[in-house]
Amino acid sequence: MSPARDLDGHRYDVIVVGAGWAGSLVAKRLGSQGWRVLVLEAGTTTLDTWAGHLDAMNTFYSSLIKVPNAPYRANTAAPSPSVLDTVPGKDGHGYQALGYLVQDGPLPYGTDYLRAGGGTGMHWLGLTPRMLPQDFKVRTQFGYGRDWPIGYDDLQHWYCEAEREIGVAGDAAEQTEEIGLPFPEGYVFPMHEIPSSYVDRVMAKHLNGKTVFDSCTDEPVELRVVNTPHGRNSTPNPAYDGGRGFRPQDAVGLPNYGERCVGNASCTPICPVQAKYNPLKTQAQWSRKVTLVDRAVVSRVLVADNGRVTGVEYQAYDDPATPVATTRTVEADVVVVAAHAIESARLLLASELANSSDQVGRNLMDHPVMLAWGLMPHQVGPFRGPGSTSAFERFRMGESRREHSPWRLVIANWGWTWAAGSPGSDVAEMLGIPDSPFKPRGKARYGPALREQLGDRIGRQVAFQFELEQDAQPGNRVTIDRRHRDALGNCRPILSYDLSDHVKKGMRAALDVSHQIFELLGAEERTRYTSDAPSYFEYEGTGYTFNGAGHGCGTHVMGDDRKTSVVDQWQRSWDHANLYLVGCGSMPSIGTSNPSLTMAALALRSVERIHQDLTELHRPLVLRPTPGYAHPTEARP
Amino acid sequence: MTTGVPLTATALASAATPDAPPAAPPAKDVDRFVRLSVALTGFDAFELHGTGLAEFYLRTVVAQVGRPAYDDLRKALEQAGLDPEKLEGDVHQDLARAVAHLWYLGVWPPLSAAVHAELRRQVANDAFTVAPEAYVQGLVWRTFHGHPQGAKAPGFGTWAAPPPGEPELPQPGRPVRGHGGKTGGGR
Ligand SMILES: Cc1cc2nc3c(=O)[nH]c(=O)nc-3n(C[C@H](O)[C@H](O)[C@H](O)COP(=O)(O)OP(=O)(O)OC[C@H]3O[C@@H](n4cnc5c(N)ncnc54)[C@H](O)[C@@H]3O)c2cc1C
Ligand code: SF4
Repeated sequence: MSPARDLDGHRYDVIVVGAGWAGSLVAKRLGSQGWRVLVLEAGTTTLDTWAGHLDAMNTFYSSLIKVPNAPYRANTAAPSPSVLDTVPGKDGHGYQALGYLVQDGPLPYGTDYLRAGGGTGMHWLGLTPRMLPQDFKVRTQFGYGRDWPIGYDDLQHWYCEAEREIGVAGDAAEQTEEIGLPFPEGYVFPMHEIPSSYVDRVMAKHLNGKTVFDSCTDEPVELRVVNTPHGRNSTPNPAYDGGRGFRPQDAVGLPNYGERCVGNASCTPICPVQAKYNPLKTQAQWSRKVTLVDRAVVSRVLVADNGRVTGVEYQAYDDPATPVATTRTVEADVVVVAAHAIESARLLLASELANSSDQVGRNLMDHPVMLAWGLMPHQVGPFRGPGSTSAFERFRMGESRREHSPWRLVIANWGWTWAAGSPGSDVAEMLGIPDSPFKPRGKARYGPALREQLGDRIGRQVAFQFELEQDAQPGNRVTIDRRHRDALGNCRPILSYDLSDHVKKGMRAALDVSHQIFELLGAEERTRYTSDAPSYFEYEGTGYTFNGAGHGCGTHVMGDDRKTSVVDQWQRSWDHANLYLVGCGSMPSIGTSNPSLTMAALALRSVERIHQDLTELHRPLVLRPTPGYAHPTEARP
Repeated sequence: MTTGVPLTATALASAATPDAPPAAPPAKDVDRFVRLSVALTGFDAFELHGTGLAEFYLRTVVAQVGRPAYDDLRKALEQAGLDPEKLEGDVHQDLARAVAHLWYLGVWPPLSAAVHAELRRQVANDAFTVAPEAYVQGLVWRTFHGHPQGAKAPGFGTWAAPPPGEPELPQPGRPVRGHGGKTGGGR
């Protein structure tokens, strides 16, 4: 039976909702500071043993479509979305959302997350670029979206701390030189960079130093292939930490294993050797002050009349296949909600809390990913190494941001796998097998011709991912409605999602850039956006499709005004001084980099403040005045 | 991130070995199956046996379409001098496609609706990965000197090496540039 049933009425210093990425980091730090931490996890925790990991590997091998959630067991008590849930609309236009997420917006939010111990960080790709200093001030500098209440300099220290916790491999000097990122004097990443792939090298040979033009602004942009920082074990840098070096974190459940990436090329959905960082590695370092309880779906955050939260109500269940739940409550001085941007917003809305600004659930952002793909004239060795090792970074910056969304131009190492379902789709095509048993079959190639033509085709595949910055829009939001519930009776998230003209214009400019790049490469362009795809839309006469990146942000946005934001710069609720909302949901702009490193930096920064709050709370013999209730930042001069 | 043919997700449920595995077919049967598979796939008998899956695939084919239909295909191919181009009829063609697909991806594909009906198959006409190991042993990865994603990892940094026949290329951005001393980095 789940231990979740035995906690009723217990009291802790801190409750953390969600044993995912942000929650695991917060629990680790607070636990090591001596606080008694209870972590409540909605899903199961089968992945933290080697046997459980191997089970996920087998599920992955067997799955027909190797989507991000393919290796992980379904759970009706704590359902997760799947990228397979978004399908074409009934009449061949638009989309339908068939799974856990209810969707009613003009365009689909076509991505997923994972509700199981470890969270979405189990199937992340593993890229950890920092945000640019200008990403924090998009409203003031470029006139769109929302500004942060803090800047790059405030996060510098915490970025370094996050890079230690995650174990980042990269070349800091190159990041400074190519993108202008400031680091502390003499800083190196814990590990040397992950080698750039052969695909990257081909790109550099053809494109480095060449110029393309932004068709929207006529701005020239020089192409430079830049190695990406990774949360993935590489060769430790002996110069790290003032010469103390770095010990890579090994696999969970199998000591001394996975200390270096071996090129399995399946980081999303699962790294077989666990060379890629995942939050279970952080959990393995938890002190005994941290208690993890799984199969405990938090259904409500509880609040007292004075505005302070007192604890949470959760549903304990045993069997994820046929959940029967018992409702329990548990109390703490501080509650940290770290349940993923969408689930945290859902939980707040269901608790009717923290929303005096009316911003909870709003400003949902992702990096819409526009794919462009083609065939090189020669073999490039795709489907090897991590999903991406380099990018063109200069489209992230500059005055063009006033006109349209900027993007990271990511070089894909895995051919057309995302763009076209390769290599399975190539095999089917060459055998004349269409996507439906009712369509006529083509002529098949067999024998040596089949083998050679497949090798020739797949070995020449290249693809780019244009990951566009989406601006904060209050209309892009998570809501709930009692009519839409899951098996335990919890309200499912309802998403309304769309792309602004700022983003669409960015896609137009990006598509033009892709044409220029394919031309410079001498590659045969194969990009094709079909009107029956769920995400298809037209902008100024041209059709586009896009994918989700899984970077959900913005749903409990941070700001310096309690009237217009949900949390302050410490990710502390303006409305409830002992409630922290930790995760990408706090980010006012999603920036031009994959968000999780920044999320981790923010989480570690919040721990400092939570520690202070708790210390003050536990300081003996201090008579605190209790006239009404004030947010601590307002109470303190 | 898809690998198999984009087909229904419901097939996942049946991604197991075929029901009630029949007794192992005699070695001669397996050899004949491999012989026709050589003709269909373009890989030689040694490579096909080397997957360790020849016998399992033969059993899968028989379980999927029945012994008579399989025997028919085999005879037709043998009579055509093991030249798949000379195979006649939709049933033979579609079964040949399915066998090649199985070897290349470890996935049994759906047959054409007409052939499915004509064979009066008792099983659903869905795609499924016939066994976890079948994905790992898929031949498609070998056509371009790759390895199955998530298995047979070739080792740290191997992704930087040129594929056979292509030239070595330097790491982008090498040699390491100076960096003014003001900021971090450097090794
Ligand atoms: C395919 C994919 C690839 C990605 N690649 C990258 C990348 O390369 N770089 C990058 O920076 N980011 C990447 N991301 C994004 C990254 O995974 C997320 O930003 C990150 O995991 C968010 O962390 P989190 O802790 O907020 O949420 P999660 O990691 O999702 O953790 C939330 C936890 O809370 C639990 N929970 C949810 N509801 C409840 C409840 N009611 N009660 C109790 N527990 C609950 C969940 O089960 C889960 O364990 C990727 C995402 C996807 C989908
Ligand atoms: S390339 Fe392979 S070993 Fe390296 S992180 Fe990805 S899955 Fe793990």
